[in-house]
Amino acid sequence: MIDFRPVLLITGMALSVLALAMGIPAAVDAVHGDPDWRIFLASSGVTLFLGLVLVAANLSGRRKAFSIRQMFLLTVTGWMAASIAGALPFAFSALHLSLTDAWFEAVSGVTASGSTVLRGLDMMPPGILLWRSLLQWLGGAGFLMMSALVLPDLSIGGMQLFRLESNSALGERVMARGLKIAGQLVVIYALLTGLLTLLLWAAGMSRFPALLHAMSTISCGGFSTSDGSVGAWRNPAVDWVILGGMLISGAPFLLYLQLTQQRWRQVLHNTQLRWYLSLFLLSSIGIGLWLLLTHGVKPLPAIRHGAFTAASVLTGTGYATLDWGSWGGLPVAILFFLSFVGGCAGSTAGGLKIFRLQILFTSAKVQLTRLLRPHSVVLPTYERKPVPDQVRESVLGFLFVYCLSFAVVSMLLGMVGLDFMSAITAAASALGNLGPGLTQAVGPLTSLTHLPDNAKWLLSAAMLYGRLEMFLLLVVFIPDFWKH
Amino acid sequence: MIDIRPVLYINGFLLLILAMAMAMPVAADLAGGLGSGGQGEWPAFAAAAFWSVFLGLALIFSSKGKGELGLHTREAFLLTATSWVLVALVGSIPFALCSLKMSATDAVFESVSGLTTTGATVLHGLDHAPWAILMWRAMLNWLGGLSIIVTAVTLLPALRIGGMQLFRMESSDKADRVKPRFSQVAWGVLGVYSLLTFLLVGALLAAGMTPLQAICHAMSSLSTGGFSTSDQSLGAFGDGARWICVIGMILGGGSFSLYVAPWKRGEWGLLKDSQIHWYLMTMAFFALTLTFWNWAVRDMGAYEALRSSFFNVVAVLTTTGFHTNDYDSWGGFAEIVFFMMAFVGGCTGSAAGGIKIFRYEVLFAMVRVHARRLLHPHGVFVIHFNQLPVSNLVLRSVLSFVMFYFFAFAGLSVLLTMTGLDDLTSLSAAAAALGNVGPGLGKIVGPGHDYGSLSITAKWLLSGGMMLGRLEVATVLILFFPGFWRE
Repeated sequence: MIDFRPVLLITGMALSVLALAMGIPAAVDAVHGDPDWRIFLASSGVTLFLGLVLVAANLSGRRKAFSIRQMFLLTVTGWMAASIAGALPFAFSALHLSLTDAWFEAVSGVTASGSTVLRGLDMMPPGILLWRSLLQWLGGAGFLMMSALVLPDLSIGGMQLFRLESNSALGERVMARGLKIAGQLVVIYALLTGLLTLLLWAAGMSRFPALLHAMSTISCGGFSTSDGSVGAWRNPAVDWVILGGMLISGAPFLLYLQLTQQRWRQVLHNTQLRWYLSLFLLSSIGIGLWLLLTHGVKPLPAIRHGAFTAASVLTGTGYATLDWGSWGGLPVAILFFLSFVGGCAGSTAGGLKIFRLQILFTSAKVQLTRLLRPHSVVLPTYERKPVPDQVRESVLGFLFVYCLSFAVVSMLLGMVGLDFMSAITAAASALGNLGPGLTQAVGPLTSLTHLPDNAKWLLSAAMLYGRLEMFLLLVVFIPDFWKH
Repeated sequence: MIDIRPVLYINGFLLLILAMAMAMPVAADLAGGLGSGGQGEWPAFAAAAFWSVFLGLALIFSSKGKGELGLHTREAFLLTATSWVLVALVGSIPFALCSLKMSATDAVFESVSGLTTTGATVLHGLDHAPWAILMWRAMLNWLGGLSIIVTAVTLLPALRIGGMQLFRMESSDKADRVKPRFSQVAWGVLGVYSLLTFLLVGALLAAGMTPLQAICHAMSSLSTGGFSTSDQSLGAFGDGARWICVIGMILGGGSFSLYVAPWKRGEWGLLKDSQIHWYLMTMAFFALTLTFWNWAVRDMGAYEALRSSFFNVVAVLTTTGFHTNDYDSWGGFAEIVFFMMAFVGGCTGSAAGGIKIFRYEVLFAMVRVHARRLLHPHGVFVIHFNQLPVSNLVLRSVLSFVMFYFFAFAGLSVLLTMTGLDDLTSLSAAAAALGNVGPGLGKIVGPGHDYGSLSITAKWLLSGGMMLGRLEVATVLILFFPGFWRE
C-alpha cells in the first residue's frame, strides 16, 4: 500500500504557498481600488484552509526520503491541486469566466504554456493580470525544482543522465544536496526575473507590465498584458530584451550556477547549449529571410522579428511581435517542427528538449556505423561520456510516446471540429507547453474563447500531460502502480 | 575497396527484365487499336526496350572479369540504391517518347511513383489515355511491388535495416556475406504474387471491368501501387470492383513471406502471426471510426459510410492510394486521420510503404517495458515479438529507423514549403511520398487531384522522397556516410 501522508503533506504545503501568493494580487487590487481584491482574499482563504488542513492532517507522514510511487503521485497531485486552486480567482472574479475557461486559464498559467481565453487584456484590472503572470512564474519555479529533484531520480525520458551522483539510491545525503541545489536554482531564477524587470523598465516599459513580462518570460510562459502581445509596445528595445530573456530561460539553469562558481569551461563546453543556440540561429535565419524576401520587411526588423519568433517557439514561450499565426507556408513549417523541440533539459521550457535530440542523433550515427560493420563496438556519447543503454531506451521511449500523444491529441481536436492545421499545431503546441498554435484560429494574438468547451478541456489536459513529462502521469494509470 | 562488378552485373540483368516487361504495353497498344495497327504508341516502347537491352548488355559485359562475384554488405547497399534509381530512369523513357510528350521531370516523377508503388500521378485525363501508357504504369507498379517484396524478404533482413533482422532467414544468420537462399524465396514470392494477380484479374473481369481495366487494377492493387485507369480512380467503378480491390489491397499489404509458407512446422503461421493481427485490427479500427464519423456527424447513409470509409482507409493504410471519394472534404478529423495513417503502412514483407506495423509493435512493447521499469528500476524485462524475445540491437535499429523517417519527413516538408506550397499540401505530400501512399490532402494534391500542377523543384523533391521511403531511408543515407567509402 502506498503511504499517502507525505504526498498530501507536500501538496498541502504547495497549496499554502499558492494561497500566500494570492495575497499579492489582493493587495494590488485593494490599492488600486478594484473590487476584485475580495475575490482574491476569499480564494486565498479557501486555499490556505485546504492547504493547512492537509498539512496538519498528514504531519505524521514526514519523511526524509520518498518511495518512487510517492514521488510519482506527489508530482501529479501537486500540479493538479495548483491548477484547481489557481482557477478559483478566475472563476469568481468580475470576468465571470465559465468553469471551463477558468480551469483552462489556470492550467495554461501553471504549466507556463501561455494560451489564453481572455480578451481585452489592456483594460483588465491589475490583480488578474498579476495573478496570471504569477501563476506562470510559480509554475516555472516548480518545474525547475521538479527537473532538478524529481525527474532524474525517476529516470523520466533519460533524465537520469542529470543525476547529481552516480548512485541511484534515494539516499538522504543526495536528497539534501538536491534540495540545496534546487534552492540555489530558484534564487537564480528570482534574480534573473529582477534583472529582466529592470532591463524592460529601462527599455521603456512602465514598471507593472515590465515585472509581469519578466515573470512570464523567465518561466517560458508567455502571458502578456496586452492583446497584441509584445508587439503592442512597438519598441525594438523591448523586443530585444524579451528575446534575450527567452533564450536565457530556455538554457539549462544549472549552467548559471556554474557561472557563479566561475566554472567557465563547463559552460563553454556544454554541447546542449551549442545545439540549442545553433538551432535557434538556423531557424531565425530561415524565418528572417522569409520575412525579408516575401513580406518586404526591412533587413534589421526582419532579423529582429525572425529571431524573436524562433526563440519564442523554440523555448515554448509563445510571445509574438508579429502575428505568426497568419503567415502560413515556410515559417509555419519551421515553427511547427520547432515546437516539438523545446529548450534544454533543466530549463523552464517544455517540449522534447534538446538533449533528447542529441542522444537520438548520436544513437543514429552509431547505428549507421553498425550497418557497415555489424560486429564493431561503438558507443554513443553525450557530453563526451558514453550513454548507458537504459538512458537510450528511455529517451527513445519518451520520443515515441510524445509522437503518439501528439497524434492522439490532434485527432481528438479534429473530432471536436478544428481544421487540419489548427488541430495539429495546437496539439503540438499544447504538449510542448508553447501555448498558441500556428494558424489564425489558434494563433498567438487570438483569444481561444471561441473554441468549443471540449477542445479547451483537451488542450488543458494536453498541457498538464506535457508539463508532467507524460510518464509521470501515464505511470499512475498503469494497474501495476497500485499493486504491491 | 568496393567491388562494383557485381553491382553492375545485377543492374544490367534487371534492365533486361525491364525491357522484357515492355512487351506488355506493346501488346496493349496493338490490342487497343485492333485492325488499325495499334494506337501508335508501340514505337516509343520498342525504342525504350532497345535502349534498355543495350544498356543492360553493356553493363553485363563490362562487369565480366576474373574471380567470383561476391556480394558483400557495402555492395549490397550500393546495389539496392543504384538499381532502383537506374530502373526508374529507364522506365521513364516511354513516358517521354510517347504521344503525351511528357517533360523529363514529369516522366521521371511518373516512373518513380510507379516503381516505388506510390501511385501519385502527374497525368490528367486518364480515361482517354492510350492503352499502352495505362498498361505501362500498372506494369511499373507491379514490377516495383514484386521487387520490393523480394528485397524485403531477402536483402533487407541481411542488411539489418530498421530492425528487419527479425525476419532474417536461418541460413543468413552468421556470415557477413549476403547470401541468403535468394532464388528459392524469390521464386516462391513470384509464384504467389502472379497467382494472386491472376485471381484478381478474373474477379475484376467478373465484376464488369474491361480486360484492360481489370489487368491494370489487379496489378496496381496487389502491388499497393494505386495507378488507376480513371481520373476518379475506383470512384468510376461499381460496388463489386471496389470490394474486390479492397481485398486485393489488403492482400498486397500483408506479409508475402507468410503467403509463401502459410503452413509451417505443423501450424498455421499465417493465422497466428501477430503482425497480421495488428494489421487487420488497425485497419478495422480506423475504418470503423471513420464509418461512425461519416454516419453520425456527416449524415452519410449507413452503407455508403461503411463502403467509402473502408475503401479509403484500406487504400491509405496499405499505402495504395486509390480513392473512391474526395475524402479531403470529410472535415478536419478525417484529414488528420488520413494524414496519420500515411505513417503507419502495411506489414513487412509486403509491397506497402510507411513505417510498417511490426515496428509499431516493437515500439509499443518497448514503451510498456519502459513504464514498468520506471516503477521497478532494478527489474529485468524482455520485449517480445511473435512470442520471441527481441534483442537490444533490433530495438535500436527500429528506433533509429523511425527517427530517420521523421527527420526525412520534417526536412522534406520544409523544403516543399520553400517552393511556395501551403502547409497542408507540403506536410501531406511529404508524408504521402515517404510512405509511398500517393495522394496527399488539400486542393492541390488531394484525392481527385494530380501532381501535375506542382513546380519542377517540388516534383523532383517528391520523387526523391518516394525513393527514400521505398528504400527504408537508411539504405540511401548510408551512401552519404563518410565511413561507407572508406576502407
